[in-house]
Amino acid sequence: MSLSNAKLLELYRKMLLVRSMEETHGKLLQEGKIQLMGHFGTGQEAVAIGVTGPLRPEDILFGTHRGVGEFIGKGMTPKDIWLEYLGKKAGPCRGKGTLHLADRKLNIPGLVSSLGADFSMAVGTALASKMRRTDQVTLYYVGEGTCNQADAHPSMCMAALWKLPVVFAVCTNQFCELSYMCDHYPTDDVAPRAAGYGIPYEVVDGQDIAVTYEATERAVAHARRGQGPFLVEYKTFRMATHFTGDPGHYVNPEEREQWAARDPIDLCRKKLLEAAVITADADQKLRAEVQAEVDGAVREGFAAADPTVEDLFEDLYSGKGVL
Amino acid sequence: MARTLNFMQAINEAIAEEMRRDPSVFVLGEDVRVSPFGQTAGLVEEFGEERILNTPIAENAITGAAMGAAMNGMRPILELMFCDFSMLAMDQICNHLGQWRYITGGQYPLPLTIRTAVGAGMRMAYGHSQSLESQFIQAPGLILVEPSTPYDAKGLLKSAIRSDDPVVVFEHKKLIFGGVEGEVPEEDYTVPFGQAVVRKQGQDATVVAFGFMGYEALNAAQELAQDNIAIEIIDPRSIVPLDKDTIFESVEKTGRLIIVEEGRLRGGLGAEIAALACGDYFSLLKAPVQRVAAPMIPIPGSPVLEDLYLPNKDSIVRAVRRVC
Repeated sequence: MSLSNAKLLELYRKMLLVRSMEETHGKLLQEGKIQLMGHFGTGQEAVAIGVTGPLRPEDILFGTHRGVGEFIGKGMTPKDIWLEYLGKKAGPCRGKGTLHLADRKLNIPGLVSSLGADFSMAVGTALASKMRRTDQVTLYYVGEGTCNQADAHPSMCMAALWKLPVVFAVCTNQFCELSYMCDHYPTDDVAPRAAGYGIPYEVVDGQDIAVTYEATERAVAHARRGQGPFLVEYKTFRMATHFTGDPGHYVNPEEREQWAARDPIDLCRKKLLEAAVITADADQKLRAEVQAEVDGAVREGFAAADPTVEDLFEDLYSGKGVL
Repeated sequence: MARTLNFMQAINEAIAEEMRRDPSVFVLGEDVRVSPFGQTAGLVEEFGEERILNTPIAENAITGAAMGAAMNGMRPILELMFCDFSMLAMDQICNHLGQWRYITGGQYPLPLTIRTAVGAGMRMAYGHSQSLESQFIQAPGLILVEPSTPYDAKGLLKSAIRSDDPVVVFEHKKLIFGGVEGEVPEEDYTVPFGQAVVRKQGQDATVVAFGFMGYEALNAAQELAQDNIAIEIIDPRSIVPLDKDTIFESVEKTGRLIIVEEGRLRGGLGAEIAALACGDYFSLLKAPVQRVAAPMIPIPGSPVLEDLYLPNKDSIVRAVRRVC
């Protein structure tokens, strides 16, 4: 394992932060304090944090609607996320994006709802990186459900054709919205589709943060060296249902239990305890600290100023007088 | 100094000049190197294959790719060869392109120009002939322009390329293929968005004619002049933003409004302007607003039927006579 203990601890903290963010979101919804629907990524934290871990600040990330993992991974703070989620003027998107997070200072261009529309956008940002002679990489994080969108194909085709610095990171969490992957796919894996375009690929365990991180690191290095796109498929299990309010009757409980036994946060903690990087006490302290950070962000978010009627018509056009 | 250029040369020159001026400008689209119509012909020799980029046939995905490039420091000019095909890219254009800047709180403007060919009369039947401008007017955040002269084609395209906002430029095939000529200055100039131009003055009725329909309106004006009816012809040049001031200053004078478009009637550009007239400007009207547009049927392949389908000089004359 090439990951240093310090790096592993850093990734562990981020995974804790992701879970705490989403649990807090769920709690606020249950308490009726917010209406913002959530699509949580519980159980997938090692993928979201593993795919963003090896990215540089100048690298570009397209994330998914499922949870906040990759946004935390790329450096968004709980405070900025909650300001945006609560639709506040001080949010990175001035409260206009809410779940559609974008943060230019972190090179996160935005999040679409018509899934897969951003597949080709990621090819475009990578095209610009190449034309501008930078060594910037774009990471396109996507679920297996979205990989059935038609645009997946010309996007992979263009990425390979033009040898672009883009990594397709496919999080296969066994579910496509409210049904099992086997209702959507005639195959077990998505990744071999890449071979049709001559794109190298790898299929890896999505529960072990060291595995997800290192696989991504290899793929990103490949793209950064100018060798073109790479696809990694991470196998995980969505412990959350599709959206808050989906009771998930379609989920096989036995299978869920089997995957729960390999919870990515538990696996990482076990490693850290065994390697004496942290003690049980330090772990408790860390968890409390993370929860306090999230609670503080929520408090600050609620206290922040709402946008006003003047903001309603702002930001549409750069040029004046069009509206 | 002005020279005479045709419509296609004006487009080609605008692109070449902007590419020389700004290294972040590049062209992508299907067959843009060979350029079947000719708007981007020859550019690959000067600018190379990287900046004149042939793409796969995948309208939605190449639009997304152009948007991604615009998010990351480039100013792409995307060609969607026929406006009919742009419907394949409507998720990108209507759901995302115009809205991206707003929804990211101003963080990501998208300086993207889309050029697409509209217009029937070339005997291309239903799939290569439609004028679908009105499909775009419901999408917030876009600028929509439709030049009818070489001067405007060059000046509006330059404004589009320099704009930080996404712009769709509708180019009429009859203007491209028909070789309409006009004076174009040698020195650099732009045509600003949202400025209509009065093509012909008159005091009896205001005819707002989009794009190629302006030429049909000029022909109609000659015929109507024989009966001493003088129409005023306005070429809006921009669909969004629309120069309401020029249009309704004219209506204030004439009291009569006829809107002419090659696209279809229902929910069309004429419907939008008629609604404006019936609202804010109702007191200016001395007669009911008239709309001249194509019927709500597909564009038939038969040349005889296609000619019957298209709005033209005669339908404009009839509409004017109804109110004058």
